[in-house]
Amino acid sequence: MNENFEPRIVGFMCNWCTYVAADMAGVARLKQPPNMTAIRVMCSGAVSPLYVISALKRGADGVFIGGCHIGDCHYQRGNHSTLKRIMIVKPLLEALGIDSRRVRLEWISASEGVKYAKVIAEFVDQLKELGPNPLREM
Amino acid sequence: MKEQVRLRCKELLSAKRVAAVWGLREKDGCAVPFLFQNPEEIDALTLSPKAPLSFTCRPSNETMLSVLQKKMPGKRIGVVARGCDERALIELAKGERIDLDLIEVIGFSCDQAQAEECVCSRPFPQNPVAGDKVKGIPEEKAFQGLLAMELKDRLKYWEAQLNKCIKCYGCRNACPMCYCKDCRMEQSVFTKIGWLPPEFPLFQFVRFYHMSDHCIECGECEKACPMDIPLRKITKYLRSRMEDLFDYHPGLDAKRKSPILTTVDEDPVKDLPDELR
Amino acid sequence: MNYDNIHTTCPYCGAGCRFHLQVLDQDIIGIFPDRSHPVSQGKLCIKGWNAHEFVTSKDRLTKPLIRRGGGFQEASWEEALRVIARRLKDYPPEAVGVLASAKCTNEENYLMQKFARVVLGTNNVDHCARLCHASTVVGLVKSFGSGAMTNSIPELEDSKCIFIIGSNTAEQHPLVAHYIIKAKEKGAVLIVADPRKITLARYADYHLPQRPGTDVALLNGLMNVILSEGLENKAFISERTENIDAFKEAVKKYTPEYVAGVTGVPKDSLIAAARAYARSSASSIVYSMGITQHTTGVDNVVSCANLAMLTGNIGKPGTGVNPLRGQNNVQGACDVGALPNVYPGYQSVADEKIRQKFEEGWKTKLSAKPGLTVVEMTNEAEKGNLKALYLMGENPMLSDPDIGHVRRGLAKLDFFVVQDIFMTETAELAHVVLPGVSYAEKDGTFTSTDRRVQLVNKAIDPIGESKPDWQIICELAKKMGSREFEFSSPSDVMDEMARLTPIYGGVSYERLRLGDLQWPCPSKDHPGTPILHKEKFTRGKGQFLPVEFQEPAELPDEDYPFILTTGRTIFHFHTGTMTRRVSTLNREVPTGYVEINADDARAIGVGDEDMVSVATRRGSIKIKAKITSRVHKGVVFIPFHFAECAANVLTNPVLDPVAKIPEFKACACRMERG
Repeated sequence: MNENFEPRIVGFMCNWCTYVAADMAGVARLKQPPNMTAIRVMCSGAVSPLYVISALKRGADGVFIGGCHIGDCHYQRGNHSTLKRIMIVKPLLEALGIDSRRVRLEWISASEGVKYAKVIAEFVDQLKELGPNPLREM
Repeated sequence: MKEQVRLRCKELLSAKRVAAVWGLREKDGCAVPFLFQNPEEIDALTLSPKAPLSFTCRPSNETMLSVLQKKMPGKRIGVVARGCDERALIELAKGERIDLDLIEVIGFSCDQAQAEECVCSRPFPQNPVAGDKVKGIPEEKAFQGLLAMELKDRLKYWEAQLNKCIKCYGCRNACPMCYCKDCRMEQSVFTKIGWLPPEFPLFQFVRFYHMSDHCIECGECEKACPMDIPLRKITKYLRSRMEDLFDYHPGLDAKRKSPILTTVDEDPVKDLPDELR
Repeated sequence: MNYDNIHTTCPYCGAGCRFHLQVLDQDIIGIFPDRSHPVSQGKLCIKGWNAHEFVTSKDRLTKPLIRRGGGFQEASWEEALRVIARRLKDYPPEAVGVLASAKCTNEENYLMQKFARVVLGTNNVDHCARLCHASTVVGLVKSFGSGAMTNSIPELEDSKCIFIIGSNTAEQHPLVAHYIIKAKEKGAVLIVADPRKITLARYADYHLPQRPGTDVALLNGLMNVILSEGLENKAFISERTENIDAFKEAVKKYTPEYVAGVTGVPKDSLIAAARAYARSSASSIVYSMGITQHTTGVDNVVSCANLAMLTGNIGKPGTGVNPLRGQNNVQGACDVGALPNVYPGYQSVADEKIRQKFEEGWKTKLSAKPGLTVVEMTNEAEKGNLKALYLMGENPMLSDPDIGHVRRGLAKLDFFVVQDIFMTETAELAHVVLPGVSYAEKDGTFTSTDRRVQLVNKAIDPIGESKPDWQIICELAKKMGSREFEFSSPSDVMDEMARLTPIYGGVSYERLRLGDLQWPCPSKDHPGTPILHKEKFTRGKGQFLPVEFQEPAELPDEDYPFILTTGRTIFHFHTGTMTRRVSTLNREVPTGYVEINADDARAIGVGDEDMVSVATRRGSIKIKAKITSRVHKGVVFIPFHFAECAANVLTNPVLDPVAKIPEFKACACRMERG
């Protein structure tokens, strides 16, 4: 495997929580890998399965979705939809032959900057192990 | 079995309990859907588990029964239904396309051979008028081979299969559950259009995803595909996931909404990792 | 409330799929495929699934129109037919022509050619088969004695080796590609010879990307390998063919090295493909426009016939020489005599005995002189020799080569009648326009590419004041004084046709209601013929015809450095009169494009979706660029469906000397940005 492989991650981040946490992590100068391309959404529930597969097709090695904890959603139950959807998107990807570990859903509240940095770092390591997304070449 | 169904249809029509019956008719050697409006016409009614009841009509994407109900407001329509047809009716009612209260189901069961051909887990409607309820076939049979493959082989397999696609939209046209006026498969936002093959795997992806909580196991998608793409390997696998995660089966309970649309309290995800609770 | 399903045949391509039109209270609300059909088996392509939408388009012609002043005025049928009857009488037989329609039914084409011969006294009758499979009709007649597909579509599934040349089957005949893919999945070897990397080329075991126009060299090369390795079928050759020795001599110089140089196909691929084709127990050749639309079209077809005979791949299931006819009824239109040199059933006009039979059948004296072909008619019109033309269901203003020349020719006509369902680019030039009906508003039959005669059933009444084309022709003939057009239904027309046409001898509506019939079907109890040339060829022995390679008429040079080849896309059909009025198809492909290789695009500074000017010696068009690796460097491809960027403005009207088919597939062009 290529030692210099730097996975590219597309991250859909809820405006009210994860996006703030990511910002905080930056302000606090916590070590964050530079692999992330952040996309702010108003709620993680706005993330359609089509965004996930499009990102994977367009060159992302991993897709990250960050939402509020269950019970804390700014729109009451948007994140319930996120969870239910990902529970189906993951097996669908597996059935097609795409490793579902390339899609990661996390609940990260606005104050959890440290958790954000940790989670992304873990995700990058995992993706390094998985290698480049084979869908890219197709 | 045909005679029992015909008898029931004639009874319903004669007693004016239904204004019409939607079922299959023998014509020119084909079994095709027909609206029987008189008891005499029922003599031509036939049962053909292999032939679809044809719910949809293009390009309006309206369900046939929805069209009929609009044309006959307030009247009851009898529908001669296999197990899958009845499940389709229940899902259509949930999707508010038809009024189930105005539908009288005249159900009949499929035989063992047909169940095996369709790999159907429930080859009978709830209260069949004719036919014995045979044992369903475990759905794993349809996708066992797929899961046995290694991930990278699976990807190559689907690339070869899905790249045969000629964008006829047959899978969508034939599916009783594809009734959206704004069909996602038609939208160019996510995938280049006007080109063959349609972008892998985006074109079929959204339909697979929607089928997870809508697929009623009729098999029409595969029968409509001119390139013999084994679509049911994926749809049946997703159905099994819905069963494992939520104990949910599309088309069985008219009162139960899809778990994807409900909260985690109403339909919790089984075996959810702690971090996501 | 009235609901019914009308079982009918698709009006698009020659595969001959069938479906049911869903009619609710006189409205066509949908389509669903015919599960039990031997070819389509419950499947359809995107055009078939939407084949009802154009029928009720608001653009439908609903009233006869007569040109007065600057534009068209609506007229009554009485007036329009009166004008036509009066005017057509003025012209001697040499000065008038009739163009029949590969889209209309067999009955209508039969009546059209009878009208030309009986009422107008001329053999100047032709149709667009001239533009697509004229090479097949001429070539296969020379080799085998019969110019039609030798086997049937469903048999392809059992073929052990399929050789596709000049056919983008997955896009042009999707339901035929279905069987090819099935065969491949059952282990058959697939060889695809096409300059572009078409869909099936990706599945092929061998893709031979020959330079456009070098098909004879390629085919002779394959045969050279087969002969030099002793893989020919000696028994078949000696029992069933003649002229092998002259042929062997001619093929000697087409060594793999020589052929690789001419065609650009690597010699190893050539050798491997030849071996695969020769060694399999059942090899099938499938071909289409890619080889017929050349100045060497007949040579190309004859070479395919040579290849099949060399290896004994004739007369058995899963073998044969299989041309895929484009239009839904181009096979039928040829069968029923809408051709200048033959009567119905390919019986020669020049043959005295045959002419006498038709003179008796039609109670009229008939001309012995073969007539003009399609492109010749436009040429003669431009010269002023052809003065009047009666055209049904064709659109030469978009389908013929060198559109500028077509316009000049048609504009010079003294009297021009067009009968169609839409105001096409051709109808705009007419003096009288008659509104015909679509396949959904009339009864009749179509004959598909595998000689399958099938019923077309009326689903709704004609829109507005339009009339079934067969009725229009009969009324016009009667107005012109003929008593030979007293038919009360298309079934009557078929009965008369069957009496005079041996290959359709046993065809009748009664029998067709029970199932399709594949001709030859000479008598009432004959079951039809799925496979031709089983014990002997139609001409007795198959004839090997030595063929020399010749370059296309126009090669690239300094001024015009690219090879332009034209063709189709799955989403639209031919001149787009029907498909461009279907919302689903327009959404997929709203306008035309030119396929350019990435290297070529970079060299002229063009990006994906940029506008380019493409020019040839005939004219130029502005069109959107599509950068793709489907085309090789030096070759560009334009689909011909789009009037606003018409590929045929650019194409070369040079013809095959015998078949008179234009060279649509190869000419020279140049391109620049903007």
